[in-house]
Amino acid sequence: MWRIRLFDTLVQAATWAAGGLLLLTIVAVFYYLFAESQYAFQRQFPFGFRVALQSPDSEYRDEVSMDPTAGLLATHREGSDELDDAEDVTRLPAHDELMQMQSLVTATAQTDNPSQLRTDALFRDCMRAPKRAEQGERFLLLAFALPNYTGDTMVLAWEPDVSFDPAYCPYELRLRLIRAPKGVSVDPFEIDLRRQPKGRLELPVWKARSQDEWLQGYLFELEARPTTTTTWATLQQFLKADWAPTILYARFGMLPLLLATLLITLLSVGLATPLGLAAAVYLSEQASPRIREWFKPILEILAAIPTVVLGYFGVMLIAPALQQLFGEALQLSSGRGLLATALMMTVFILPTIISLSEDALRAVPNSLREGAEALGLTLVERVRLVLLPAAKSGLIAAGLLAIARVMGETMIVWILSGGTPTMPDFSSPTAALGTLVKPTRGIPDTIAIEMGNVEFESPHYGHLFLLGLTLFVLTLGINLLGFAYRKRAQVSL
Amino acid sequence: MAEWEVLAARRDALRARKNALLTGAFGAVGLATVLLVFALVAIIAVNGAPTISWEFLTQPPREGMSAGGVGPMIFGSILLMLGAFVMATPLGVFGGVCLAEYGERSRLMRLMHASVAALAGTPPIVYGLFGLAIFVLKFHFGVSLLAGWCTLTLFCVPAIVLTTEAALKTVPAALIDGGLALGLSRWQTLWRIALPYALPGIFTGVILSLGRAVGEATPVLFTASVYYSTAETKLGWETLRQPVANLPYYLAEGYRQPGVVPERFIWGACLTLIMLTLLLNAGAILIRSRMRRRYL
Repeated sequence: MWRIRLFDTLVQAATWAAGGLLLLTIVAVFYYLFAESQYAFQRQFPFGFRVALQSPDSEYRDEVSMDPTAGLLATHREGSDELDDAEDVTRLPAHDELMQMQSLVTATAQTDNPSQLRTDALFRDCMRAPKRAEQGERFLLLAFALPNYTGDTMVLAWEPDVSFDPAYCPYELRLRLIRAPKGVSVDPFEIDLRRQPKGRLELPVWKARSQDEWLQGYLFELEARPTTTTTWATLQQFLKADWAPTILYARFGMLPLLLATLLITLLSVGLATPLGLAAAVYLSEQASPRIREWFKPILEILAAIPTVVLGYFGVMLIAPALQQLFGEALQLSSGRGLLATALMMTVFILPTIISLSEDALRAVPNSLREGAEALGLTLVERVRLVLLPAAKSGLIAAGLLAIARVMGETMIVWILSGGTPTMPDFSSPTAALGTLVKPTRGIPDTIAIEMGNVEFESPHYGHLFLLGLTLFVLTLGINLLGFAYRKRAQVSL
Repeated sequence: MAEWEVLAARRDALRARKNALLTGAFGAVGLATVLLVFALVAIIAVNGAPTISWEFLTQPPREGMSAGGVGPMIFGSILLMLGAFVMATPLGVFGGVCLAEYGERSRLMRLMHASVAALAGTPPIVYGLFGLAIFVLKFHFGVSLLAGWCTLTLFCVPAIVLTTEAALKTVPAALIDGGLALGLSRWQTLWRIALPYALPGIFTGVILSLGRAVGEATPVLFTASVYYSTAETKLGWETLRQPVANLPYYLAEGYRQPGVVPERFIWGACLTLIMLTLLLNAGAILIRSRMRRRYL
């Protein structure tokens, strides 16, 4: 007897352990995705501006970045370690030497305290490590002419650093004059660099006759004041429309990825649902049991073809066809893109939809079928008026499950999407067609592609987990809704 | 004939024509699906078959992946699958028993049922990320066979739980009641009567989810995969801590670095992978038909 009791206890314990582990899994998935995505919120927000003192007719007046005398006030990682400091930051030469090279000078110092400025510690550029969004930053900028300058006026020109967009900056950026040289009357001014990222301002000439007088020139400051917290800024930028995580001023806007994933899902499920439903109706209402017996295993074969292989198929068959169709009109380099992906996704999801819809239709009790037939309805009318309404919950559940599976499918998108994050554009027919056939990129393939060469525990890594969390939450919601519908289908029948 | 009769006859003719048209369309879609499957399999078979040889199936790649075979990848895929099979089957079966036995009794069980359903639909890439976060980094398994096994297990378990639960629900109540009436304890009834009856169904579920796992590259992408390591594949405790080459990842990388792996190799690997999953499926179908024979 004790053996039976022990046996009972053991089996029961194993059962509860397995059940508990399942419950634990979902909590753990949530927790760890959330925990790892915290690294996203450790991101820092670099910014950079080029500033130059120019003569009014300078040949670089339109492009400050080309001006060899322009200084860079920037916070980004390059330049914050010593090696790059030495490379990128140029000390100002002595007065006489400087006179032979140029006539207008902008100079900056590592300090942000005006009283600590020293003539022997002036640089052309100032680079600092980027800060979190809560922390402010202040750069000082000296500007003066040398005695060999002949013009009547001089111009302060500024422009954002290449690939830096002030719209992505969670700071209020202001360039202001904090001290005019003695004997020069200029009204104090302040420029909002976010509103006016690029501009020119004419100033009266002031010449420094010797190195000692350098410090008495125009003194400007570029002040960055935080507008929000790092967490909030990270989230805000996560919802923007630009995904470029590896450039100097990294952008982590996932909107194009999300929209591409949703569009692919919409197209493929929209295409596969009518087809799948038709096949399911055929199977459950028209086909003889023998045909059905054959059909199911064949569907399982389709369901068993690995998605990597399906992806190759798209590359070998669908993409070349699309390129032949639209290649010349839209200058496509390949047929890879949203439409190719969605078509292959349709093939991928078709067996799931057929077999789940068939289950839902077959669960409708025969009494309903026979009643409808006794009323003299044709098969199509029976399906439309009786079977579909009766199987509604089950069919919706099937559709929701299909949506969740398409959203998370990775390999097909990876291989077929073309890999360029693109914002969908439906403003005109040509733009819409372009959106459909041009390369794009979804959420799951972005994770798969970029996780391979990301630095662990960096903000980029955190953002990939944030993408994963987004995907998980989306599919979780859809799956739970599908589960609820499936339950309702069981209860109502 | 009265006017209304004419009208009714015309309407009936219209209904019949519409019916014939649409039912024909349903059948056509069904037929097209079957043709699609045959076309896909045929294209892979035609393109892949010339590559398949004993050398291709057993030899490691040589000359910078451009010659030799995909032996280590096949070996790695099977290794990953076997480990997942060993770990996922008991977990999934006992989880299914838990759901079937305690069913909708408490709020906790309903929550569990919902969470299993949700996990079954969770994208493989999310499992990959989770595996990376917990097994590779948190538990310090590194990118290794062990981490891959654990991740694949988690990926397989929910589907096995659901099929086990469904299979247990098909056990006739009369059998269970009979067992209990003979004085068997509840768990003896489960172990001796319900599980054996449901076993073919459970096995089908296990094999199908393993088939899905072996073809899925994403869960093992960050947790266990290596393109190809020159180290000789020797089985031992060390193997657990080393990454493994596998077919889906080979295909994915073959795509990512175009021109390295010759196209005929890719078709060959596609065919091999499909053969592997189809073999598993054939096993599942066989078991199912034997089950029918035994009980019907």
